[in-house]
Amino acid sequence: MASFFTIGYRTVSLANINKYDEATKVIKNNDTSSYIKKNVARGDIFDRNKNLLATTIDISSLSINPQNILNKKETISKLKIIFPSINETILLKKINTTKNQINLIREITPKDHVDVLKAGIEGIIIEKKNKRVYPGNSLASHILGNTDIDGKGTAGIEKSFDNKLLNGQDVNLSIHAGVQHILKTVLSEQISKFEAEGGAGVIMNVNSGEIYALASFPDYNANNYRKSSDEQLFNRASKGTYELGSTLKLITAAIAYESKLIKETDLFDVSKPLKISSRIINDDHALKLAINIPEIIVHSSNIGSALIAEKIGPDIQLKFLKKLGLFDTVKLEIPEIGKPQIITDKKKISTMTISYGHGISITPVHLSAATASIINGGLKVSPTLIKNSLKNIKKKRIFSNNTSTEMKNIMRLVVSNRYGTGKKAEAPGYLVGGKTGTADKVKKSGGYFKNKNIVAFTGGFPINEPKFVITVMIDNPKGQKFSHRSTAGWIAAPVISKLVTRIAPILGINPQTDKTLAFTNQLLKYKIRGDEL
Amino acid sequence: MIRYPSFSFVFFIIFIAISLYQIKYFILKREVELAKINQDIMLTKSDINILRAELNYLKRPDRIEKLAIEKLNMRPILPIDIWNIEDLVSTQNIINNGELL
Repeated sequence: MASFFTIGYRTVSLANINKYDEATKVIKNNDTSSYIKKNVARGDIFDRNKNLLATTIDISSLSINPQNILNKKETISKLKIIFPSINETILLKKINTTKNQINLIREITPKDHVDVLKAGIEGIIIEKKNKRVYPGNSLASHILGNTDIDGKGTAGIEKSFDNKLLNGQDVNLSIHAGVQHILKTVLSEQISKFEAEGGAGVIMNVNSGEIYALASFPDYNANNYRKSSDEQLFNRASKGTYELGSTLKLITAAIAYESKLIKETDLFDVSKPLKISSRIINDDHALKLAINIPEIIVHSSNIGSALIAEKIGPDIQLKFLKKLGLFDTVKLEIPEIGKPQIITDKKKISTMTISYGHGISITPVHLSAATASIINGGLKVSPTLIKNSLKNIKKKRIFSNNTSTEMKNIMRLVVSNRYGTGKKAEAPGYLVGGKTGTADKVKKSGGYFKNKNIVAFTGGFPINEPKFVITVMIDNPKGQKFSHRSTAGWIAAPVISKLVTRIAPILGINPQTDKTLAFTNQLLKYKIRGDEL
Repeated sequence: MIRYPSFSFVFFIIFIAISLYQIKYFILKREVELAKINQDIMLTKSDINILRAELNYLKRPDRIEKLAIEKLNMRPILPIDIWNIEDLVSTQNIINNGELL
């Protein structure tokens, strides 16, 4: 009986499934389900319509183990047939080594992979690696950023959302690929046309703060960022701070209305230059009369703006600038954000110059957010690059609805009135409103360039019921024969016209013929006077 | 002397051993198949990812715009191209009633 049990036990034990046996080990090593769990691919980045902006693909890299090569000459000649660019002398030097692995080509195509296997080359090692790719090339390079050789985010969304992406989670941006492309195309055409050093543009939803497009020039191909210069990698839209000139007059006017220290009928004498200590404030087109706030904005009078600021005083001015977020870095979801520089000494001359955009350097994103707050009914807007991220956040009120309405009217007059500086921003079928700004460019060492300037435009459309704000900035454009002057009215305003005409249909904003008429009629109450007087 | 119960016991043990042997190799075979399927899934996923990247590269807005203009003679939509459906209906009515003639 005992012998039966012994034989029986041994038979069963031989047949039993032993988890440590060799065959099972091999299978376990090939068990890819555990591999899938451990090696989660980096998450993808999409635009607001689920268009792929960044993803990770598998690539093959080619190495060789010199110790496994019997015939070096034959190996080199076989490799040369498949990869003609290989230098035979250098390769021979490389494989005459005691090392066990020499990297040959970092990335080979699937066809090369097959050819290498078919050729039966001695000592060859083909390894699978991950590669981050950006199908749009330069479409949104400053937003997306990059990853380093180990797949770690080094800039842009890739850096800010590194942990999320490393865990395999996707990121959905607020960017609209179509609108982004149009902004880049129109802006780059204008930069080339006026031989400018660069530029930036932002298109943002006035209520949610979602950025639909953000461009910076010069730009770079995200797939090739290691070969890009610092100048190309620099994000002028969110990191570069600039004196954006008269666009700041919008804020001055809005503060004036909101503070109730100035009535719409109050007049400011702009016929003579203002002399404050050693500094003289004057206008490009001197008007020989006293004008009100709408006229100051339409004519873009520095003197008028300075006089408004004098009446408001530095405390109220700085309080509102702080409320608008112009003292702080904008809370955008990328690391490339610039801190504004503002003179806060409360001197009379500082208060006056800040009112027309001198002595205050901000990013184009700051200006977009401030413009949005002025035209959206007066609520503070926090710009975001993430879709629906700020949907349920309660917004703080900065300006009253009345101030906002008044400002929308004035911004429309800047574009529609015969004396307006932004006439070239007019887009047929749509009501565009905004403000131009031309400022001397600030030197890095301090002071201003005499012959270099920054031109900008910030505005909204449709200005009667604003949905989007557009801000563009062009750095050091050169005046051309056809443009007469290198001012924002000639250079930045036409960009807005082209942009609105092209993006409005894509964003589902129909031409508003009926509403246009009603809105335009109510603007007749503003009597804008000009040179004829 | 081998009795009947002992004989059937040996038979039973042999039967169990053969069954376990069959089950073991059946499971091993299935595990190899599963590993292969998982590997195929990974490769297919990788292929899909590459194709998706290629598709998005091919449908870049700048490329689509260039092709639409060059090959299809299309141009960007202008405000004048956008009509309200009511306007289209009223225009059609005018044409139908011969009011344009």
